[in-house]
Amino acid sequence: MNAGPLSGIRVVDFTWVGAGAFLTKPLADHGADVIKIESETRTDPIRWMEPFRDGIRGIDRSGYFANRNSSKRSVTLDLKHPEGRDFALRLIAVSDVVANNFAAGIMDKLGLGYDAAKAVRPEVVYLEMPMQGNTGPHRNFRGYGLTIGAISGFLATSGWPDRTPVGTGTNFPDHAPNPLHAAIAVLAALRARRITGRGQYIEMSQLESTINVIAPAVIGEALTGERFHRRGNLDRRRAPHGVYPCAGDDRWIAIAVEDDAQWAAVRTALGGLPALGAEFDAHEYRLANTDALDFGIAAATAPRDATELAAGLSASGVAAALVKDARDLMADPQLESRGHWVTLDHPEMGPSLYDAPPYRLSRTPGGLRSPAPLLGADGHEVATEILGVTDEEYERLHSEGIIG
Amino acid sequence: MGDRDVPADAALMPLGGVTVVDATTWLGGYAGRLLSDLGAEVRSVMPSPDPEDPAEIMRRFGKTQAPTSEPDAQLGELLNDALVDDATILITDVGPAELRARGLHPDQTTAGRPALIHVAITPYGLTGPSADKPASDLVLLADGGLLYLCGDPDRSPVRPFGEQSATITSLHATVATLMALTARDADGLGQVIDVSAQEAIVHTLENAMQYYDLEGVVRRRRGSSPADAGVGLFACRDGYIYLLTTMGGKKLSWDAAVDWLVESGTAGAERLRDPDWDSSAFRRTPEAIAEFRRIFETFSGARSKDEIYLGAQERGVSIAPVFEPHDLLESSQLRARDFFHDEQVFGHTIPMPGLPYRFGDGTVGRFTMPQPAAARPGGGS
Repeated sequence: MNAGPLSGIRVVDFTWVGAGAFLTKPLADHGADVIKIESETRTDPIRWMEPFRDGIRGIDRSGYFANRNSSKRSVTLDLKHPEGRDFALRLIAVSDVVANNFAAGIMDKLGLGYDAAKAVRPEVVYLEMPMQGNTGPHRNFRGYGLTIGAISGFLATSGWPDRTPVGTGTNFPDHAPNPLHAAIAVLAALRARRITGRGQYIEMSQLESTINVIAPAVIGEALTGERFHRRGNLDRRRAPHGVYPCAGDDRWIAIAVEDDAQWAAVRTALGGLPALGAEFDAHEYRLANTDALDFGIAAATAPRDATELAAGLSASGVAAALVKDARDLMADPQLESRGHWVTLDHPEMGPSLYDAPPYRLSRTPGGLRSPAPLLGADGHEVATEILGVTDEEYERLHSEGIIG
Repeated sequence: MGDRDVPADAALMPLGGVTVVDATTWLGGYAGRLLSDLGAEVRSVMPSPDPEDPAEIMRRFGKTQAPTSEPDAQLGELLNDALVDDATILITDVGPAELRARGLHPDQTTAGRPALIHVAITPYGLTGPSADKPASDLVLLADGGLLYLCGDPDRSPVRPFGEQSATITSLHATVATLMALTARDADGLGQVIDVSAQEAIVHTLENAMQYYDLEGVVRRRRGSSPADAGVGLFACRDGYIYLLTTMGGKKLSWDAAVDWLVESGTAGAERLRDPDWDSSAFRRTPEAIAEFRRIFETFSGARSKDEIYLGAQERGVSIAPVFEPHDLLESSQLRARDFFHDEQVFGHTIPMPGLPYRFGDGTVGRFTMPQPAAARPGGGS
């Protein structure tokens, strides 16, 4: 595998739980040396998140942790011990990026704040991801789980009008907006450094980052003067636009029709839809009568096979797809042809499934370089090869519980 | 357009001097926006089918409309070679057959342009059996597996608001673009970035794929019905709050939450101190879930989001208000952060959100030095 576009960049990664892993993973997969700083006593909660290989819990058996931490190394340090802190600073001195998502002030208290980092590495790019920012009356507010989704408007904007809002059913801010906005900021700062020679302090409020992805709700209220309300699967321009039941257990088809020509194709595919009169052939009428439209379509899709129906509609130029579950995705011919599913042989979990990066750089590609690291497995290598620590010194640090 | 968070000299910004031809339609629009926010000069060449669509307004903010003598021309016909010749980066977002028909396939755009970075965002990738399938946000979320997880178990899946397939894809595309720019800065050479929206969406499935791979379980929609009594959305006087008192079966702030309910005189709250409730197996029973909800909503139904939020922070209980969009404009935190700022768009005053990040030297976003941190007792995150 080639070295990747970020070869030569080293990241000291203090992030844990939440958005951190998916920030440093793309960097690691594209050649950066990402060193996760972990702790024996306060392990990353993600290492204890389900599922586990064969359902057996273990600190090196979490599939959730594994998929997010390909290509990285792991060093356990006691950061509260002065020598543990010094080790971290020595590592920062030969690194390019420091990343953390602790609450405001934690890194400073550990003696690893931006000023301390800059003192040993003036050109460091130092990223912090406080939940609501380092300033403001709520800067020290704590929160777990779906807190960011709640306070950002992300939860409230998704779901049915007549039901409790549901968001995505996942901790979406941690999977896309927060880690990737952060990765973008880090890469941009590294570019600026190439030109100016100067490092950068980056503050990414997870709240503010997430609000950006539902900002259209705020903008829409200002434009129309009307309160936002959840609309289920409805669309401002397309009709029909929805998710309709098909044959089998929890099988659904998603259909999105742009114009009258596509609507005609839907009618044909669904046996004419005699229950929906000719007035439905006009786009504006369909948009204004979605209840009747969806009811009529659902009655026609219910006995059909979703995959076959979707294939027929796609061939006729209509956007349509089976609503895929994990089993469907594992067998998806398009994902297979893209090489999306990669099996890596993990020392404890054995061969297990990872996502390939969703993009391919033609000239300087990345790739999954290694499975997720075992807790603290790389301490000796990092200490001796990067920092020139002798084997004897390493053994002393290790026996005193400072490293590894 | 508008008064953005930029220093007077864009050359000081990380992407100062970078020029982008943005030929996106919807799927890749946010990628151009992100590059523009970082100082790139981004020229949008596609007319918008719906300029007053709030999602379009968000995506196009900061971009300039490239001059053209044919304002109604379609993709590709608008694009003249001079634009692409001068550009560092070209972004497209339609499938390979449509690209080729317009003369915009990477094979065509990069011929004789070794320094060009062509970010070819597509619904399914430049290759593969589905590469030219018709797509839309809803259908991509379906094909990417995220839609299946969204919503209540007793209804159809329901898509998240905001064309998140485009957001997810554009975020990944921007990361990749900056990596390609890193390579180009070193040796002057561009490349093609093949970004698949379907694959990007598959990256957001939390642990669904691993559940299937490691335990043979297909993860399903759970909706807002909690797995544990002390977790979930609860109604309050002016909307909902999100409560999280246990995680992975372990008690976090459960005891503090129960103390609060008891001290406030909430009917039935004393029962929550019975040892049964210490057991996660008990808390996961439908009976426990229903009982806790009855008790808690007696408490929360009489109080507002803000009241509960502030009280919870004082007591160390993890409760977050489920803010509606208009709540964000009234948030004391966001006002203190000067986060939203007014822009004039189509004759309206629109509160635009600030950037997702702020650089300490002021070159990106509006940065303020923090006050000395008043750490909470106990530390930890």
